[in-house]
Amino acid sequence: MTSTPQAPLARLRRELFATPLDGLITLGLVGFLLAVAAALLRWVFFQAEWAVIQANTTLFAVGRYPIEQQWRLWLLTTLLAAATGLSWGLLRGPSRRWPVNDQLAAGILIVLAVVGSWALKLAPAIQLRWCGIAALMLAVRWAAGRWGHTWPMGLRRLVPLIWPLLYLLGMVLISGGLGLMQVPPSEWGGLLLTLLEASFAILLCFPLGILLALGRRSDLPLLRWGSVVYIEFIRGAPLITLLFLGQNILGFLLPGGLAPDRVWRAAWVLTFFAAAYVAEAVRSGLAALPAGQLEAARSLGLPMHQALIHVVLPQALRIALPATVGQFITLLQDTTLLSLIGLLDLLGTARTVMANPEFLGKNAEVYLVLAVLFWCCCAALGLGSRALESRLNPLTTAKA
Amino acid sequence: MTSSAANSVMIEARGVEKWYANGYHALRGVNLSVRQGEVVVIMGPSGSGKSTFIRTFNALEDFQKGSIVVDGMPLSNDLRNIDAIRREVGMVFQQFNLFPHLTVLENLTLAPTLVRKRSKVEVEREALELLERVNIREQAHKYPGQLSGGQQQRVAIARSLCMEPRVMLFDEPTSALDPEMVQEVLEVMQELAREGMTMVVVTHEVRFARQVAHRIVLMADGLVVEEAPPEQFFNNPQHERSRQFLSQIA
Repeated sequence: MTSTPQAPLARLRRELFATPLDGLITLGLVGFLLAVAAALLRWVFFQAEWAVIQANTTLFAVGRYPIEQQWRLWLLTTLLAAATGLSWGLLRGPSRRWPVNDQLAAGILIVLAVVGSWALKLAPAIQLRWCGIAALMLAVRWAAGRWGHTWPMGLRRLVPLIWPLLYLLGMVLISGGLGLMQVPPSEWGGLLLTLLEASFAILLCFPLGILLALGRRSDLPLLRWGSVVYIEFIRGAPLITLLFLGQNILGFLLPGGLAPDRVWRAAWVLTFFAAAYVAEAVRSGLAALPAGQLEAARSLGLPMHQALIHVVLPQALRIALPATVGQFITLLQDTTLLSLIGLLDLLGTARTVMANPEFLGKNAEVYLVLAVLFWCCCAALGLGSRALESRLNPLTTAKA
Repeated sequence: MTSSAANSVMIEARGVEKWYANGYHALRGVNLSVRQGEVVVIMGPSGSGKSTFIRTFNALEDFQKGSIVVDGMPLSNDLRNIDAIRREVGMVFQQFNLFPHLTVLENLTLAPTLVRKRSKVEVEREALELLERVNIREQAHKYPGQLSGGQQQRVAIARSLCMEPRVMLFDEPTSALDPEMVQEVLEVMQELAREGMTMVVVTHEVRFARQVAHRIVLMADGLVVEEAPPEQFFNNPQHERSRQFLSQIA
């Protein structure tokens, strides 16, 4: 719609000031919102004492990860930024103007890198590093969008494989091995631990959820009932009880040494927990697909597994994508429960900081920063999922 | 088509009976024999079991009694046997059932490359020829959702033909189409019949049945009521049930 300068004003007047009572309500609400915003800004800029954050940035970021080994995490962050930029650019394809969501994401990224690291009073060298990483991601995004479509199709198909490879490399970089010094999981913490647990569970619960959803719709009674019992048992139990159960039972069932570390026990519990919910999301996608799709594939002679891989799942997973990503976001936020079983994830770290006599009573500052951090992670997941969704819709990509 | 080939039996169904899970007796002992190169049209009121019957030929529906032999292969519960039969039997559905996430060309090449393990280049060349034959080659790189119903159904026919089937089954192929698109699909089917394809067609299109069919089969209540050449069936039906059906569709 073309909007002349007059149009928005006329519309405001029509919708918000139609009658004197409407005008009164509008003015009252606007006044209230302005008062709240002013109070919040006054607190943020004049009353809050951010020293509690500024003094503990490393703790919030990586916990007690040894300082002399932290270059490994910087390397990993740089690689992740490059891979993100690459996938982002290829997903969007060639278009001169960036979509609004991309402009928004790029803007937030720049603000976080420049203003965020300045406000946190990071060392100048570290500030520069964050700006460099943000710039790298955006530059790769720009280059991949600009020239990505000229690469051969075979090469572009391989790009998603970067992620599992990067994940394995990341595990080596974080935990050590292959000539690097070992850093045991008990020394991981903060945002590092939160993201590690969440990404591990997200990566593994997805295939597991697909298998469970297929199992639940299978004709084989054993498979079907097994899946139903598993899904309903997990969905019937609160995550926190499963986490406690996992900490106790895994050590109890498996002989000493075989039982994974506490951090990994929690990661497996998160995985098995989220898989049940992802299975239900995927099942909704399978149910939404007309039966004729499978019939057509089978009547062409495709065996069941090929019909599933090439015809049913690509469509069902696209339908299930928003619900599945919703589960991933929930999962990311559920990692805060790890602090209750004594792990030093973001919230666990925050609680130790707040218990420090030096920073007593600074809870509001800490929780606000936590909220912003979680919001950024979830927003990135949401934006990524929406980009993938429009990319997977044949009728929107066909125009490109 | 040689006369000896015309004599060989392509589909032989004997005493086929089917009950649905809810106990409904859908097929009550149906017999049908289709020779190579023959076009058989199955007509009948809705609920008479026509669709269910032809869907047993490629095991999309199972049956409890009787026997079906397709191109010399008896239908059994052996999965490998079922896949072998499906490779030789093409099927066109009322709702087209094209794969919406693949382009028209990919719809055609998917099964031949995966199932017959043929080279992609070769299959694509043949697929484009088939699309040419159904007058739709210029749409090869579009997605099904961008085509009209008639175009989609012609793509569906080409997709089946791309597997080089020995028999084609049509399950009410024009019932979901707008009236002005019915003719373009029937013309493709008529052309196919002229080339000697063995076809079993469930349809309500009387003109198509008159012009193309070698034989009309009337089904009612899960049974074959009458089997006759089109002239005889439409002009001089032998059974009361056939006369009643013809008066209803006329």
